[in-house]
This record gives sequence, structure tokens and C-alpha cells, in this order.
Amino acid sequence: MDRITRWLRPTTTAHAHCDLPCGIYDPEQARIEAESCYKIIEKYEASTDPIFRARAIHIKEERADLVKQHLDVLWHDYFKPEHVAAVPNLHELFWNTTKQASKVKASVDKADAQKLLDLINEVDAAWKKTGGEEKTRVAGRPS
Amino acid sequence: MRPAIEPGDWLLVDPSARRWPRRGSIVVFLEPETELIAIKRVAARPGETVSELPVTDPATGEHKHVELQLGPDEAWLLGDAAEHSIDSRRYGPVSVDRLIARAWFRYAPIRRLGRVR
Repeated sequence: MDRITRWLRPTTTAHAHCDLPCGIYDPEQARIEAESCYKIIEKYEASTDPIFRARAIHIKEERADLVKQHLDVLWHDYFKPEHVAAVPNLHELFWNTTKQASKVKASVDKADAQKLLDLINEVDAAWKKTGGEEKTRVAGRPS
Repeated sequence: MRPAIEPGDWLLVDPSARRWPRRGSIVVFLEPETELIAIKRVAARPGETVSELPVTDPATGEHKHVELQLGPDEAWLLGDAAEHSIDSRRYGPVSVDRLIARAWFRYAPIRRLGRVR
């Protein structure tokens, strides 16, 4: 029987390629990583230890990548075409915010990290305007 | 592709297909963007019109619905689980040179044996 099964088993797999979204989306994930970048730059500025500073840069780059990842998930998976009616600058906002995250990855200027946080605030406002808080958190955002 | 296709279904396919089969057929194709072998349903065939496509005018930012006329070798492929499916709504019309086969029969599991519809 095993031999027959082996013989009949398909040799190629086709993917239906559907997302299985958990449905939980919140710009807070991106904000926390962006705040990490901000604080790491502060610590970098305050230190004269070259090893510490090298570690700080390495960790900041990782955190900035996480910001981009969380923003991408929001952009691709949470926001839908109909949300553009409520937030007409949605695509430009995400474009600018992810670009700013890339800038922070390469920068040790706190002003760049602050600008990223400001843009994430705008993403947060878009998320709230489209009902994200009610739709995508289990019991709203913790207060 | 649930409920038509379940994960783990074993399918017979017709690899001789050289043109997009009739609307409603299930096809195996090379997916744009991912280059994965994917399976979806033909929602519109070459020359047909896809209506009510939501788009944003890049010049004005206006949100509207448009019609899309498919080219002579293009099909519009959709997943059955519309809410979660990544399909032509994301990557657009699919050219016939990406068509691999038409799925037509499920031979396992035995309890689901039969034509693919």
C-alpha cells in the first residue's frame, strides 16, 4: 500500500497563496521600535566607548529594519483600497515613513529619529481614522 | 482556494493547456511577483472586461472604480477565499505564458474524489 501511495503522490505542489492574517494590526509595534532607535542614538551620543558605539549602531539598524517590517505589514495587510477615501495621502504617507525608517537606519541624528516618530503618529492617526483600534485589537488599545 | 481546493488535495492537471480555459476553471500557473507555482480560478478571459476595480488616480488622489479590458493573452485570476487571497487584485492580469496546467480531477483524499469545480 505504501508503495502505491508513494507512486501516486504528486511531485509538484501548487500554492493557493492566501494570507492567514491574525487580524491584529497596530502602529504601536512600529512606534516602539522607532523609540528604540531614538533612545539608542541618545546613548550613542553620550558614550565615548567605541565598542559600545559600534554595538549601538548595529542594534539601531536592526530596530530600524523592524520599523520598516511593521509598517509594511500595516500597509499591505491592514489598509485596503477603500481606506484611501478616508486617508487620501495614505500611500504617500507610508512611502515617506518607510523612507524615513531607512534614513534612521543610516543616521545617528536624533532629529531623523524624531521625524520618524512624527510620521508614525500620522500613520497611527490613519489607523484610528479607519477604525483600526476597534477592528484590529482584541479589546482596543490598552490605556 | 477553499472550499474547492483544500490543503493536501492531490490533483490531476492537464498540462497541454495552451490557452486560458473557460471562466470558472481552476488553473495552475507561475505566480507573478513570487514566481511560485500557484492555483487560482479564472475569473475573466482574454478580451473580457473586469469591472469595478478600485483604484486611486495618482495625479489627483481620487478614489474611484474603473473597468479593465484584458489583452488577447491575459486572464484575471482570483482565489475563492476573496478576503484572504493574493491574486490578480494585487498583481494584475496574468499572461498566458505563465499558465502551467488546468486542474480537473481530485484523486485524494478518497472522500473528496471527483472533478474539480
